Amino acid sequence: MRSIFEIISRVVRNPSTEKDDGSRQFIARCENFRLLLAANNKALEIMAEMSEEARLNSLFGMSHVRSQSLKVSANVRQMIERLCRMNPGKYDALKDVFNIIVMEMEKASDSRSEQSRGPLILTMDEICAESISETGSKMAMLGEIRSELGLKVPEGFSITASAFMFFMENSGLDDEINRLIQITDGNDLNELQTLEASIKHAIDLAAMPIELEDYIEGASSELLKDRHDLRLAIRSSALGEDSGEASFAGQFLSVLGVSPENITDSYRAVVASMYSATAMTYLLNQGLREDELVMCVGCLEMIESVAGGVIYTRDPIGKHKNALIISGVPGHPCSIVDGSALADTWVMDRADRTLRDVFIADKEWQCLSSSNGQINRVKVSENRRSVPSIPYSVIIELAEIALRIEKHFNCPQDIEWVKSSDGQIYILQCRPLSVAESQSNGDSIPKKDEHESLAILSNCIPASHGFACGEVVIVETDDDMFNFPDGAILLTYNAKPRLAALLPRAGALISEHGSATGHLANVAREFGIPAFIGITGAVEKLSGVGVVSVNTATGRIYRGFLSGQNYTRDNLAVLPQNNPVITALRNTLPFIVPLSLTDPDSSKFTPSNCASLHDITRFCHEKAVAEMFRENAMSAANAKRLKGERLLQYWLIDLGGGTSSSVDDKYISLSDIKSNTMKALWIGMTQIPWDGPPPVQAAGLMSVISEAACNPALAPGMSNNMGDRNYFIVSRNYCNLQSRFGFHFCTVEGYAGDDPDENYAFFQFSGGGADKSRRMIRSWLIAGILEKQGFIVDVKEDSLFARIEGVAAEAVEQALAVAGYLLVHTRQIDMVMSDSNAYRNYQVKFAQDIEAVLSSYSIQSSEQGRSL
Amino acid sequence: MKKIRLLLVDDENDFLNAYVRRLVRRNVEVSVACRGRDAVEAVKATDFDVVVLDVMMPGMNGIETLRQIKAVSPALPVIILTGHAKSEALVEGMECGAFDFLLKPVGTEDLYYKMLDAIRSRTLDLV
Repeated sequence: MRSIFEIISRVVRNPSTEKDDGSRQFIARCENFRLLLAANNKALEIMAEMSEEARLNSLFGMSHVRSQSLKVSANVRQMIERLCRMNPGKYDALKDVFNIIVMEMEKASDSRSEQSRGPLILTMDEICAESISETGSKMAMLGEIRSELGLKVPEGFSITASAFMFFMENSGLDDEINRLIQITDGNDLNELQTLEASIKHAIDLAAMPIELEDYIEGASSELLKDRHDLRLAIRSSALGEDSGEASFAGQFLSVLGVSPENITDSYRAVVASMYSATAMTYLLNQGLREDELVMCVGCLEMIESVAGGVIYTRDPIGKHKNALIISGVPGHPCSIVDGSALADTWVMDRADRTLRDVFIADKEWQCLSSSNGQINRVKVSENRRSVPSIPYSVIIELAEIALRIEKHFNCPQDIEWVKSSDGQIYILQCRPLSVAESQSNGDSIPKKDEHESLAILSNCIPASHGFACGEVVIVETDDDMFNFPDGAILLTYNAKPRLAALLPRAGALISEHGSATGHLANVAREFGIPAFIGITGAVEKLSGVGVVSVNTATGRIYRGFLSGQNYTRDNLAVLPQNNPVITALRNTLPFIVPLSLTDPDSSKFTPSNCASLHDITRFCHEKAVAEMFRENAMSAANAKRLKGERLLQYWLIDLGGGTSSSVDDKYISLSDIKSNTMKALWIGMTQIPWDGPPPVQAAGLMSVISEAACNPALAPGMSNNMGDRNYFIVSRNYCNLQSRFGFHFCTVEGYAGDDPDENYAFFQFSGGGADKSRRMIRSWLIAGILEKQGFIVDVKEDSLFARIEGVAAEAVEQALAVAGYLLVHTRQIDMVMSDSNAYRNYQVKFAQDIEAVLSSYSIQSSEQGRSL
Repeated sequence: MKKIRLLLVDDENDFLNAYVRRLVRRNVEVSVACRGRDAVEAVKATDFDVVVLDVMMPGMNGIETLRQIKAVSPALPVIILTGHAKSEALVEGMECGAFDFLLKPVGTEDLYYKMLDAIRSRTLDLV
């Protein structure tokens, strides 16, 4: 974009070779003014964006909040710098005010709170529910059921939250990870995978504090004492993981079969898994703060298991009332939770322990520990495939244990269990279970289904409720994940946890393998995505069929798009209204957005009364205009006051070619203006006289009065002439107007020369006297009109930014005439913007007036041989 | 048009390579330094139009580097470009005379125009 400076440079010979006279100083001032205005526009734009993001509950991470805050701060700091250079020494106090505001703002959004350092290691004997802030929920709950209920859990220890902080701070990883997240541009899966690799690399290279290594070695030596061999499961137990609000189910890593000498490598891998692409996507969609992630890690003895599985103490999808669901597989239960196997399932009545339903799966594979502790997939022998993985006596034992755990924690539980080779039941994990409201009226499928003939698959048991239509897209590879279209129905062979990254964008989930007790089913329920998991033949039957409808109420998947369902759902995940990221954003806004410094004539209009960054921008903008046009500057710049039939409240600086030469060095007549852009703007501003303020509705006036009460500078009298501080800077083809009409502030700028590539018009408008909602409605009204005239418009809150570029000079002139008209005629109409009739009337009136303005402009320009 | 002589100071090779490629296409003559100390030496030896400087670097950090560059060449405009999103870096950087503070990632065009602003300001003794 062409700058004032470039326009001046054409007029004034190369400033660097000039001696230091008034014109050179003026050019320097102009350039500072330009930089200040550019920073002002940018700052206001980001402020408006941030306010809108807070209002709309948008999806973003903490790095975005920090980056927005810092960008707005940098632009405000730039404004201060430029103002200080326009009049050295006069405004230096602003710097200290600014520093205080931004440092306070940083504190308000600070991440991991300062806490005194606790133990680096806690052994299972030392862990109980109160340990949760050091061990995370997973380990704390295991310690609790062992100490309080006497249940068997694996021996082991926790590498604590304090250890994690120590590792992060000691190695500088804290800052480095924040930096890597910051410089990642965007949040799509591809970029997040690159980020995952960079963070993993940084964590792998970071030096592990010697003290921490010693503690880990000491704890594992203690475990090894009575054993000839020791293999460990190194499991994530992050703070916040397994909480009721966000389970992070399956998003973090567990490393199985780890020998003691490899604990620290596995520890690094588990810590790095917090920043995996899928975990980060999950985090983003939950509105959780990436800078508050703390990974505590459980190091647990591996149990030689002959069977294992999951228990839900309630039916999570609400289909079975008062039921407890136990699933099991032979060998290690990892194949259930990672969605790769079908499991035996028993639905048991919680009251009388009778079995209501039994499903014995055809178990082709099982997971078994090898002698080195690794887990291998092994084929199940033909004659064992349909044999139940556990006998009835174990089912009863598991139910008793599960109900004791539920009673102790007083909420439904999701429990992972194994049966050891010596017949003992061990609990590997227990966590709160979220239970969905039942979507159907009872357990049975509705009798009448008018779409039954369209069903491709029936009798599907839902893992998460809902209804969705969309194109079926199969996801088998990473490439499939990257190319997955929004709203499609996700079809997959295995319900792998990493697919969680796609769920917020998927209409529904259908998986051939896996079970409703797996991690992915959990995440589907969290995001409210309908899911069928463990549907034999799904991939073969649904691949390539195009659009399908998924209805968990009927348990069917239909060909084509169905409407008129007996219930519908919103497929998009609803973000919690007060998630941690939004809360952090809202905590920073008070330092940025509120504007209390509005009356430049008040004695309180000083740096020390700037309470927010917005106040500082307001102060800088006002003072920069004053500096630009101050008395001695005005004479140096040859600023003149505009004169029509009477003196007007406008001053004008001609950078060259914008006016005809005049003998009068104080005043300039309208007839002397030669700048095509200023003439077009002026025609727009004056062609149709302003009607004055709209007839005030009581509510509108009250809105202004209440706004004014919060803002003493806004008195509701509104005896507003054409503003009191309006400045044109012009050249032959250029015009910049800085104006303040009562309560609102505008910048209009345009260049209209021979080369369309250089031409543009820009209109920025914000503020007003009424409350924010009315001001926003006025901005939308103006935006609609500007868009019809070819402007590209961006409305954020009550601020409007409109531009048109790359067009012929005549189009820029017309655009400026439209901007000029709106500048004058939209004054004070915010007061009546709660009245839909007034809104429509203004829409019609403005459209008619603008047509008249443009036809008057055409007549005047053709009279003058096209060019104004 | 005269080539812009830029000193780009950053310890990340990927970043340097990407920006060098794009800026060279815009008629910018780019010299690079991966450490603060090397940057100060380069400023002593060569007459640059503008410096673009990272904050987090091994050894001497960006703010100290800025101080030393300004001690050697007070009029040379220095733009901070960092992924280190901390207010402290902004406050200190501007106090030490940086022309502006940009946060990564930043488009090549935005950086290029910011460099032009900085060079213009120097011409007018505004830095």
